[in-house]
Amino acid sequence: MAGLLLSTAVVGSYSMPGWLERAKNDYLRRRITAHDLDEMHDAAVKAAIKDQEVAGIDVVSDGELRRDNMIDYFALRLPGVEIDRGAKASYYDFYDSVVRARMPMAPLGLVEHFRFLRRFTERRTKVSITGPHSLVKRIRNEYYPGEEEFAVELARIMNLELRELVRAGAEEIQIDEPYYSGFPADLPWGVRAINTLVEGVDARFSLHVCYGNRYGKPSWEGSYRYLFPAVLGAKIHQLTLEFARRGGDDLRLFKEFDPPFTVGLGVVDVKAHDVEPAGVVAERIRQALEVLPAERITVNPDCGLLHLPRDVAFAKLSAMVEGTRLVRKELTG
Amino acid sequence: MIVHLNFLPASGATDASNIVTALFGLLDQGRLDPELLPHLRVHLDWLQYKANFREPVSVRRGADASGEPLALAEIAIDVRQARPERLGEHLAAALAPADGVVLGDFTPLSQSLIWPCNRLFWQRVADWERDTGRGFEAALPSGRSDANHPDAVADGVADFWTLLVELDKRGQLPPEIFALEIGVGSGTRAGLWLDRFKALDEARSTSFYPRLRFLLGDYSLPTLDRAMSAVGAHQNVVSAIAMDALNPMRALSFLRYKILYIHLTNVYDNLPVDELVRRDGRLYLVEVRPYLPLPAAQALCAAHGLTPADLPATVARLLEVGPDLFGDRARGVAFWRQFWDGLRLEERLRLLEGIADAPLPPGLAPEHLEDLLAGAPADIRFHISRGAVESFVNTVPLLHPRGYLQVQDIFVTTMDEYRQGFRGPGKLDGSVVNWVNGALLRVVGARAGFDVHFAPFRYRPGSRTSILYTTLRE
Repeated sequence: MAGLLLSTAVVGSYSMPGWLERAKNDYLRRRITAHDLDEMHDAAVKAAIKDQEVAGIDVVSDGELRRDNMIDYFALRLPGVEIDRGAKASYYDFYDSVVRARMPMAPLGLVEHFRFLRRFTERRTKVSITGPHSLVKRIRNEYYPGEEEFAVELARIMNLELRELVRAGAEEIQIDEPYYSGFPADLPWGVRAINTLVEGVDARFSLHVCYGNRYGKPSWEGSYRYLFPAVLGAKIHQLTLEFARRGGDDLRLFKEFDPPFTVGLGVVDVKAHDVEPAGVVAERIRQALEVLPAERITVNPDCGLLHLPRDVAFAKLSAMVEGTRLVRKELTG
Repeated sequence: MIVHLNFLPASGATDASNIVTALFGLLDQGRLDPELLPHLRVHLDWLQYKANFREPVSVRRGADASGEPLALAEIAIDVRQARPERLGEHLAAALAPADGVVLGDFTPLSQSLIWPCNRLFWQRVADWERDTGRGFEAALPSGRSDANHPDAVADGVADFWTLLVELDKRGQLPPEIFALEIGVGSGTRAGLWLDRFKALDEARSTSFYPRLRFLLGDYSLPTLDRAMSAVGAHQNVVSAIAMDALNPMRALSFLRYKILYIHLTNVYDNLPVDELVRRDGRLYLVEVRPYLPLPAAQALCAAHGLTPADLPATVARLLEVGPDLFGDRARGVAFWRQFWDGLRLEERLRLLEGIADAPLPPGLAPEHLEDLLAGAPADIRFHISRGAVESFVNTVPLLHPRGYLQVQDIFVTTMDEYRQGFRGPGKLDGSVVNWVNGALLRVVGARAGFDVHFAPFRYRPGSRTSILYTTLRE
């Protein structure tokens, strides 16, 4: 990222094609095989990478299209999580998952999917993982004495996987913690769990906190003020937040607290299908520049693009890139 | 021939043996094509609505995509209207070529003439009421709207107030508390609700009332005016907004994710629907053609100095300019009422090549319809409540993440219930009424991130109303 002013990135997910949704549901009902679904995942991921590249995104992801949702992808891989696999009818539902004994240390197997991403792009890449706080809110704990202990254990297990990802070449890792916004009182231990998660991992970490994007709508409302000052203790390099839908008022928090990390600036609303013109994107970046220097800003959507139709998602990314170019030009002459 | 007893007639009413006898009588007389018999289905229904769009006995034929007749034919008998002693006569009339005045082409039900008529009623309801001498709510089965039941309103207010207290405790209560009533009727319910909310707020000293922004939404400006009068004491916290119930987001997009409580009563049952039929594993769309039976058309012409040939244009003008079409409102309302009374819909079943050809509203994908049909009876006729679905998907984006939608209406909550009788359309005064496919809304709700539940309306014994409410789908 060094040297590129206002680099652009996705937050993680890309538009889920309708045909892939149907295939995922067909797989749940055992109408297609895992092999067939894997092939469809591969094809969808390649298409998502290509769309991001054509839109001009600097830091691309695999679109998270292999994931049923932000929880189950990890719950299925975490050692010691028991899952009733017959318990959901739609891929997007959450499994009923539970931990009843101490979780063993074991690999999660995320590296294989990262390597696939690396094979199909020359761009910088980002891997997103769901953070321990959000996992704790969806996986039932029947063993650990409390949520913090459970979260720290999850973080220890996932820390090993992050080290494997770095060995495989991952440089940018994003930790998604939308549930902070629903449980702001948890933030102190949530940050401690983050620090366990990133301990000794040589990557650039961004922490993404939004107000939820389940079914393409927010799960909570409020102000990011609750993050401060506790989040200042997180060993991260960037805080990635949504500003497009909610407005830029909370940008003042960066002035007030002068955090030691950069901001991932959400400039397109992922919950609306209207495509923001590049001029609107540019204006949102300029608003942030009143608070932070360009060197401390990267540009991204508010959240994942999962729930948007593909044409809308692509148009939003294209507008985001174009709006960023406008501002870059103003800054560099 | 298959006879479907969708309603078991009481002693003395039309029964299956009478029908078989009458049909074979017609066959002997050469008035029934014997080729129809192998695919003929006879449906006996009790039409809940005394005023509806069917003759006591009617015939509907299957047609392919280009309108060419198929072998499938159905005879529909309303056992409420059909008299056993006249069954042969009814059947003969239904099987004979139609001799009424046709008012349009075959279209899906949702695009038929009845919907502009319905809209006219709500726009000019005061003229109708003046002529009938009674308020429109008097046409409801109980003679008044369940929406205004004081105990139901009180419980609804208490639930909402509890939500506000919980949000307040967590510091998540917005500075402005938005609530929305869509389809305001006489405004009585809104008035009762606001009285109760204010009283509860004052009794508990919670100071929510001054922060309340209560929105009355309706597409009829005269209705909004009437409702505003009914909430007179609360004018400081109430705003009236002209909106289409099919798309509240259009008028209220600035309140996306901000409204904590949205309520509708007897709105969904009054929005456009389509009907699908599954017979022998094949799916058909019900298409309708509006007409006036000859006796009704002749009576209308005699009363207003018209010829049958004048009727299509005169009806079109009524829908365009309302009851002032003759320059004499009283005469116009009389024409309107008489025309509406006589209006019937001829039906045909148009074959759909596949489920993807079904006219589905936004928010409902073919695979969801497929899932719904997988658990439904094999032979079924059911509503695609497209207006209700459209309204639902265009309303829920207004909800605050912790807000909820409540809809008081007549719901079919499982597909199985469609096997047990007729669910509309019927006429209520000058408006259209249909039961609402709640099973469909449950599917649509899940896709939009809401669990949809139904609770019986327990405040009036015998009420057919249910209350739909949403909870957040995690």
